[in-house]
This record gives sequence, structure tokens and C-alpha cells, in this order.
Amino acid sequence: MNPAPLLQLEDISKSFGGVHALKGVSFYLKAGEIHALLGENGAGKSTLIKVLGGIHIPEVGQILIDGKPAVIRGVGDADECGVRIIHQELSLAPNLSVAENIYLGRESATFGILDRKTMFRQAGELVEQLGLNEIADVRADVSCLCVAHQQLVEIARALSSRARILVLDEPTSSLSDGETEALFETLDRLRSEGVGIIYISHRLEEIIRLADRITVLRDGESVGTQPRGDLGRDQLISWMVGRDISDHFHRPPASSGEVVLEVKGLHSDQVNDVSFDLRKGEVLGFAGLVGAGRSELAKAIFGLEAGVTGKILVEGRRVLIRGPRDALDAGIVLVPEDRKAEGLVMNHSVAFNAALPWVADWIKGIFPDLRKRNSIVDRMIGNFRVRVSDPELPVETLSGGNQQKVLVGRWMEHRPKVIILDEPTRGVDVGAREEIFTLIGRLVQEGMAVMLISSDLEEVLGISHRIAVYKDQSIRRIGDVSEFSAESIMRDLTGSVLGTAESFVRMRH
Amino acid sequence: MNTLKRVAPLLIAIVLLLLLFRICVPNFLHPENLLDLTQQISINAILAFGMTLVILSGGIDLSVGALLALVGTTTVYFLTAGQTALGLCLAVPAGLVVAALFGLGNGVCASRTAMPPFIITLATMLIARGAALRFNEGRPMHVPDTQVLFLALGNGRLFGVIPVPVVVMLLLFAATSLLLHRTRFGQHLYAIGGNREAARFTGIPVARVEMLVYVLCSVLAGAAGMIHASQLYSAEPASGVMFELHAIAAAVVGGTSFTGGRGTMYGTLLGAIIIGILDKGLNQAGVHFSFQYIIKGLVILGAVYIDVRRRK
Repeated sequence: MNPAPLLQLEDISKSFGGVHALKGVSFYLKAGEIHALLGENGAGKSTLIKVLGGIHIPEVGQILIDGKPAVIRGVGDADECGVRIIHQELSLAPNLSVAENIYLGRESATFGILDRKTMFRQAGELVEQLGLNEIADVRADVSCLCVAHQQLVEIARALSSRARILVLDEPTSSLSDGETEALFETLDRLRSEGVGIIYISHRLEEIIRLADRITVLRDGESVGTQPRGDLGRDQLISWMVGRDISDHFHRPPASSGEVVLEVKGLHSDQVNDVSFDLRKGEVLGFAGLVGAGRSELAKAIFGLEAGVTGKILVEGRRVLIRGPRDALDAGIVLVPEDRKAEGLVMNHSVAFNAALPWVADWIKGIFPDLRKRNSIVDRMIGNFRVRVSDPELPVETLSGGNQQKVLVGRWMEHRPKVIILDEPTRGVDVGAREEIFTLIGRLVQEGMAVMLISSDLEEVLGISHRIAVYKDQSIRRIGDVSEFSAESIMRDLTGSVLGTAESFVRMRH
Repeated sequence: MNTLKRVAPLLIAIVLLLLLFRICVPNFLHPENLLDLTQQISINAILAFGMTLVILSGGIDLSVGALLALVGTTTVYFLTAGQTALGLCLAVPAGLVVAALFGLGNGVCASRTAMPPFIITLATMLIARGAALRFNEGRPMHVPDTQVLFLALGNGRLFGVIPVPVVVMLLLFAATSLLLHRTRFGQHLYAIGGNREAARFTGIPVARVEMLVYVLCSVLAGAAGMIHASQLYSAEPASGVMFELHAIAAAVVGGTSFTGGRGTMYGTLLGAIIIGILDKGLNQAGVHFSFQYIIKGLVILGAVYIDVRRRK
């Protein structure tokens, strides 16, 4: 008879403010195996791990360790159960030393008095034993280390006490090949010692190299678990991509007219010599990985970046863009990625936000013309079917999709020629996504040119007329959508031996 | 080595200031004058120790000056009521309990609610000030002459040489630096100030540590309040105005980072000494009090600027 698996998660559900992050996920981990968790950004991997680590408490479901129900209601509980987690975002105290971080929360002390000498000695031994020579100076402040070495401190911390279940969330994202290999050797050793390891990575090569079994999560649900067996890279990709792409996208009919925006040799710290044109009535999709520099490109075009060289032409005339005002005057509009931080004044009303860019139109000197303001607001609400009972309600009370409509709709008062949408569907639900696509369709039909930045490949492939693959701050390939497939873009983006499927699979939260 | 490097500029500043005032004030370095200086520093230093703990956690406590007055009046009230040894046994614990309760209030609000510490302690500052003014209609309350022990707290001298407030200050310095630099609590405090989320993820009881920090700060303010009342032979409900700002200045000049997570107890002690030398020196040199403010302001600005630059 098989003994009970080391860890079982049964029917775990967790939601945040009505959004279901996990919908009844079950999965088990055996002692001495490396179990890879694959899935798109927002598929629920990090949430699942936080449930295991006691940071989130699930509404439904139970966790069994060695077949016995375990109560994990806090970080301390998880720690006692032998669960060690290396979170994706670094969780180090930068003002403390390497050794202090390794033993943070588990300091050796007698009557509260720290035994620093022992701590430094043990940390030194541990680091040596793990072969992490880069952080051999355990007295150095963590803030003096580069990110990769900080990652090593996290790893050393997780392994500093006896771990039974080790969870690594994207541990290699900032490691060099050599460091990665050293980590893998450590993981192999731990596996042979009977530690159960959950390994999350977008790098398929790593999963092929390490994993015994693989579970794929999608939209908060487990799609299935398979032994790694002979699954190759391509099979993994298609398994992750899953459903048929572009089924539920309605690409607006192409009505490409004359060139409206020409970007020539745009260059700055963050943009590496980018040139492209955008035509009237088309959607140009920018595909790429998070951090490839697409938002920076958008900001450079909109005049938000300093030290930009190169030419921008609108309808054939060169325009000088020194700031957002110049861009707006030239007919270029940017709808930023982060609605909360860069887009809307969340605690103010819908009307306030909608009329904000046009203050000069309705306040002349000291005379605000409220009738004019209200007509601007009403037009926006009517044209874009914003669902709000009263325009004076704070915009934060609206759904994500309706917020996005306010953000896009408010620019339509003075018909822009070019509209740049940076991740317009991030953090909105499926229904709102559809509405945003419809919105994009309308913009295009009315003759505007849309530059769409999205890390959701399905989306880019589904609604763009042309696609630019963006990597390392420049365009790698640009062409008609028919020349692209998810797989081919993936290859462009990952290129090297270690591929990452991140963008591919980034989707709705 | 690292420590020495960090405090070197402060030590140099102290030496330079002492030499400067030696030139302006002939008997500035006379032992008796220096002892007097240390005595004057004690109260601000004690407040600054508590303030350092709070600032390290990423907070601020504006209520300590008013609390100092309230603890003074409370203590003297009980001293007068009891007159004898009984009064003393009642008064000191009563004063400290009042301080601890205010600290608990600040701490609970800061750690369990989303209210910013600046506002919380601004409010409790007003409450403490109001409460202090309830005593004796806001007029000074004389310490009974029979309370010899209490009066010794502010005016006595150990072995006839070292002022008692300095002894108390040094003991509290030893205790708080031990707490901060040698205990688990101190470690957790640095972690919280450096990266709150990280502290939470590693299972540190963030709320508890934060609460304790405010309680400690208030209790230290209470101790300072008693010394202050003793030194003045009376409790003045209106005293302690701007004391919190001097304490913040001492901590910051001593290298405590306002965003939390960086700073040391000995740095704060040196910061308090610098501010104390400036105070006394400018006074004795006969600089008009208006200029004293301006000079102190500029010194603080300069010290923090240098500290920020060095950190880059």
C-alpha cells in the first residue's frame, strides 16, 4: 500500500473581492519529487503558494501533510510544518546583513539576547555547504548585493533549517547560468534526501531538466497533472496555451488608410533605436515579455521620458514632443498601464476624471462652465456606455472594465489620431475584456490608429492587424498578423536555450 | 570598524564644537561646566532613545513632549497627596502607568489601524497636553520639600560628582542599546523598518513589536518627565513644548533614517550630545536666542544632508 503523500491540497478555493483566484484546486506532492507548477501569470500559482505558506487563508479546502489535516493559519504554522517558501518578490530586509536575513524570525538567542557570533558562524558554514560562494561574506549588508546574490540569500534562508516541503517561485529569474546550475544541484540533492519540492518557473527548459511531474493551472483551476515523461518543449507549450486562440476575438475589419504616425530612430536610455509606422484604422500589437521596455517606448512617444532622440511624424509633419501636452496637441493619447497609479484619480468622481484633461475647455479664468463640463461627461458616458448610476460617484466604485472605459473615453472629446493602450485588459474580468475589445474596434472604425501593448499573446494575436515583437528595448520582427503564430512569437522572444513562456501566457487575473 | 567609520563624523563634529566654544567661552571645557552640560543633555537624550526606536520602525511619536508634562504633573500630584515615602511609592508607578497607557494607545492605533503615526501621535499629543493642564488649573505644582529622594533624581550627584540624571540616562542608554543591538526584538525592529512585507513573510509578529516600540518610547518619556519635574522642583503642565522635535533632531543628526530601518542608539546619543553642546555653547557665548534657533536649524539641515550623501 502506498503511504500517504507528503502534502495534499484538496479543493482549495480563494477569492479576492469577488474575483476567484483559486477554484477548487487539488494537487499532491510526494516526498522526494520535484513537482513543477506551470501556468499563466494570474493563473493562481502564487496564490496557491501563499495559501500553503499561511499568508492567505482559503475559504474552502484543506491541506493534509502526511495524510493528516494541517492547520496553516499563519506564517508560523507553515514554518512548523516544515514548509519553506522562496517567494517571487524578494522578501529580504535590505538594511540587515546576509546572516541576519538568513536567520530572520528564527534567531538563535538565550532569553532574547542574540548570539551573534554563533549566527555568523552558522551562516558562514551554511553558505559554504550550499556552495553559494558569492555570498560568503555573511556580514555584508544585503543592500550591497546585486539582485542575483540577494536571491541566493533567499535560497540559503529557505535551506537554513530542515525543510520538508520547499517551494520555489521563479527562483532563477535573476540568476546566471552557473548559479542556476548550482541551485539545480542543490535541488537534486534535496530531492534525494526526501524533500518534496514545488517548483514554479516559466522557463520550460528548467522544468524539463528538473521536474518529475507537472501540474498546469489555468484561470485558478487545475488543468491536469502529468508525469514529465517525454513531454518536450513544444508539447509543454501547446499544453499551456491550451484552448484555441483567437476564437473569441473579433478583429476589427482592416480599413488601413494612410500612415498617421511615423516613429523614426527613437532612442533613449530605455529605447534602443525603434522605428515603425502606424496607419489609420489599424491595430498594431506590441508583443513581448514584461520588462522588455514597451511601456518605456510608449512613454517616450508621449513625451514622458527624458533624453529621447529621433523623429516622430504625425500625418507626415514632424512634431516636437517635449512633454505630454505636446503629444496631446499632436493628437497622440496614452492610456497607461497602471490605472490606479498613473491613470485615474481613484477617490474622485467619474465626472471629475472624465473632465480633467479638458479643464481648459470648461474653466475660463475663474469661471467654470459646469454645463459644458457636464456635457463633456455625459457624452463620454453615453458614447462608451459606462455603467454608473451617478457621474458624481467616486471612480473607484466602478468595475475595472468601466474604469478603463472612463480612462479611454475621456480622451475622445478631442478626437485623437493615435491612441496608445498599455495593457488595457490587465486586472479586468472576462466580460469587461470583451467590452474593451469592442471599444478598440470602435476606435479603429472611427479612423483612429491604435498601438496596443499587451503581454497576453492571445489578445495580441486576436485583435491586431499587424504585430511587432519587442525584446530588449527594440523591435525584433514586425509584420502582418498572418505571419505570426503563438509558437513563432514565443521562439522570437525566448530565442536562447533557456526559453521563457511568460508573456505567452500572461492573462487575466 | 564599520561602527567607528559611521560615528567618526559625529565624533569629529563634537570635538570641533567643543574647541570652537572653548575659544568663545573661556571656561567652556572646565569639568564642572562639562558635567553641567551632560546633565542638560540627559532629558533630550532619554526622549531621543525612545524616538529612535519609533523612527526605526518607520513611525514617529510627536506626543512625547506633552506626555513628559503629563507624567510630571501626575507624579507630583501623587507626591503631594502622599507627602511621605508612601507618596513616592505611589507616584512613580502612577506616572509610569500613565506613560505606558498612552504608549499602548499610540501603539494599538499605529499597528492595528491604517491611521498614520504622525496623525495618531499629533492627536495624543493634544490629549496629553490637555490632561496635563487639568492639574492645578495649568499652574506649576511644587514638589513637597519632604520628597528628598524624588528631588535627588533631578538634582543629586552620585558620589558627589556625577549628576543622577546622567546616571539614569546612561543606564537607559545601556538598556536600549542592548535591546536594539543584541536582542531578537531589536532584530525584528530593524527588519520591520527595512521591509515590512519581508518581516511579515518571515513570521515576525509585526504588530506586537510595533506596539511595544510605542510603549517603550512613552515610558522613556515618562522617566524624562520625572527627572524634569525634579530638576525644576515643580511640575509644569505647560512644559515640554517642542521637546519631541529636539528628540527627533537628535536621532536624525545621529544618523537615524527617517524612512525606518537604519540608525543606532550610540548615533542618537552622539546626536543628542551635539545638540546639547550647541545649546549650551551658543547660550554661554551670548548669542541672541533668535540666532540660536537659526544656527541649530542650519546645523540639523547640514548634518542630515551629509548623512544622506554618505549613504548613496
